[in-house]
Amino acid sequence: MKRINLVTLIAIIATVTVAFTTGDTNIKIKGSDTVLPLSQKFAEVYMKKNPGSKITVVGGGSGVGFASFLDGTTDIAMASRKVKMSEKMKLQDAGKSYKEVIIAYDALSVIVNPKNKVSQLTREQLEGIFTGKITNWKDVGGADQKIIAYCRESSSGTYEFFKEHVMNNKNYGSTLLNMPATGAIVQSVSQTDGAIGYIGIAYLEKSVKDIKVSYDKGKTYVEATVANAKAKTYPITRPLYYYYLAKDENKIKPFITFILSNEGQKLAGDLGYVPLK
Amino acid sequence: MKKRNYTTVFLTAAILIMSCRIFAQDSMINPDDTLTTTVVKLREEVDILKRIKFSGYIQPQLQFSDSCGIATYAGGNFNANTDKRFMMRRARIKATYEQGLSQYVFQIDATEKGFSIKDLYAKFTEPWTKSASLTIGCMNRPFGYEIGYSSSQRESPERGRMSQIIFPGERDLGAMITFQLPKTSKFNFIKAEAGVYNGTGSGAVDFDYWKDVIARVRIDKATKSEKISYGIGFSYYNGGYRQGKKNVFSIANDSVGTIGYILNNDTTNYGKITKREYFGGDIQLNIDLPIGLTSLRGEYIQGNQPGTSSSTASPTSQPISDNYRRKFNGAYFYFIQNIIDSRFQLIAKYDWYDPNTEVDGDNIGKSVVSTGGSTFSKTGKQDIKYSTLGLGIAFRVDANVKITAYYDMVKNETSKNLSGFSQDIKDNVYTIRVQYKF
Repeated sequence: MKRINLVTLIAIIATVTVAFTTGDTNIKIKGSDTVLPLSQKFAEVYMKKNPGSKITVVGGGSGVGFASFLDGTTDIAMASRKVKMSEKMKLQDAGKSYKEVIIAYDALSVIVNPKNKVSQLTREQLEGIFTGKITNWKDVGGADQKIIAYCRESSSGTYEFFKEHVMNNKNYGSTLLNMPATGAIVQSVSQTDGAIGYIGIAYLEKSVKDIKVSYDKGKTYVEATVANAKAKTYPITRPLYYYYLAKDENKIKPFITFILSNEGQKLAGDLGYVPLK
Repeated sequence: MKKRNYTTVFLTAAILIMSCRIFAQDSMINPDDTLTTTVVKLREEVDILKRIKFSGYIQPQLQFSDSCGIATYAGGNFNANTDKRFMMRRARIKATYEQGLSQYVFQIDATEKGFSIKDLYAKFTEPWTKSASLTIGCMNRPFGYEIGYSSSQRESPERGRMSQIIFPGERDLGAMITFQLPKTSKFNFIKAEAGVYNGTGSGAVDFDYWKDVIARVRIDKATKSEKISYGIGFSYYNGGYRQGKKNVFSIANDSVGTIGYILNNDTTNYGKITKREYFGGDIQLNIDLPIGLTSLRGEYIQGNQPGTSSSTASPTSQPISDNYRRKFNGAYFYFIQNIIDSRFQLIAKYDWYDPNTEVDGDNIGKSVVSTGGSTFSKTGKQDIKYSTLGLGIAFRVDANVKITAYYDMVKNETSKNLSGFSQDIKDNVYTIRVQYKF
């Protein structure tokens, strides 16, 4: 009887030891909706290659990701903007040393309803539309139709990036409609005549029409494509980030290595993001 | 044995019958509907629970002072025969209930010294532009930067001497309007606050008809690279309190030119308002350097502070002694250096408080002559200027625990005419604090 108990004990210890030493990882990723499809794809492929790994990916916006990162409910904050100084200070105050990695680039595409005749706009016209100064499509070469502009919520990194780089840091107009997620913008623009919005090019669908953009006051118009973004001819391009704690490096590093590998970057390109290489 | 068997059979039968009944009921319910209903119900309950937030911290500490029974602003005076002590500096629990545009906050402090209410206020934001909000109750006074900066975040164990003297307890009872455009606005970096307060502090019942007005404007910005952030603020305090006696003393020269207090004992002084007026400016700079995050903070305040012959502290009850009017100034400067991306942080802080800017050095405590119907009284220890240099190191064990070792080197102004102040008093304090925050 004593011998059986001893065998049982050894078996339990062995099982527990094996469970802890197989290198199985459990990673939680939260944040930017722009990065969401990319992270989901990375996670899906990585988990197939590493069956013991479990990666969960949740959106919500870059700000939401950093908030979760701060309170320790996510391992990786995915963001379409850099960490803010106020967030850095909170992380420092919490004794959390972090690492920043650029995982890919994203180009923001301006989209309109497919019925819209307008197919190109200058940065100045976009600024006018999103600040609420231009309210009718006829003022930018379109039909006599009211412009219905959609933007993301203020917690979104995309919201801030568009404001800084397209609107020259001017205020969004008070009549703009704030949408909680990129998917909601695509849906609303596809269903609303006269609608305009902006999304990461990975979200581009046939149900909406993307607009060529000019940053040289109408001399040249460039289409939002991966090739143009990679060639740096498309101006509304930005890096996408992962943030993780330095102390979690051993756990996260294999996943990051996979993302930065040729295979990972090919996935990014296939999904419509701009690969690093 | 038989009895036990009967009992077992009976219980088994009962369980089987009940199981059948439950199974019969379950089979009539669509499990998908049940799951959906349960999830919806749980989500509703979670949403309600998410409105309530609890936070708090405790700060047990060990302190060593240069000598027994010193008066100090490093956590309160030491008792007569004590030069080292354990104490629970702060133990706070804060509950916040938020729903839509309203917020209710309740914070208590419970230590070996007793129980006190720190925050107790409600805040309402107008629903149209969401730019203006009204806060009513017991809250931090909207003056300067250090007053509203949480003790759980502050790097030095205590606020500067001046902050503790002119704003004891930091809080007051009143109503405040805050104006800040929403985050979507380009001008969101500007914040303006103005309020009307009792002027007696949070732990006291108001004792006069006079109410104090406090206003503050500040900007907070960061560079596009998010490598540098900065803030600038200006504050104004206009208040006062009812004089409980007719005797009012102000600084003047006596017949031989010595600085002292001249008495005005006009009977109309009784019940009049003695003015408290402060002007303040503060600046903060945070830089993300390769050697780690660096923070620089400074604040300067000057103004008029009425007090008594023995104190320049803002009163929390009706003063029943003579009124002494003084001009004061003070400041503090912080230098915080985080060491690369380690958990260590170096702290240096310098602050001063000059309770009476019109007299200094050996003029303090000098005898004055009352002549020609003028009554003079000499200045005293309440007019002594103090400066403190604090050096410390903090180690953040994790997000909850922080250990701080900090040394306060206090220097007082000296005067050969003032007993006990001919040289620097031995009142330095060494503090080791562990903070647990949640």
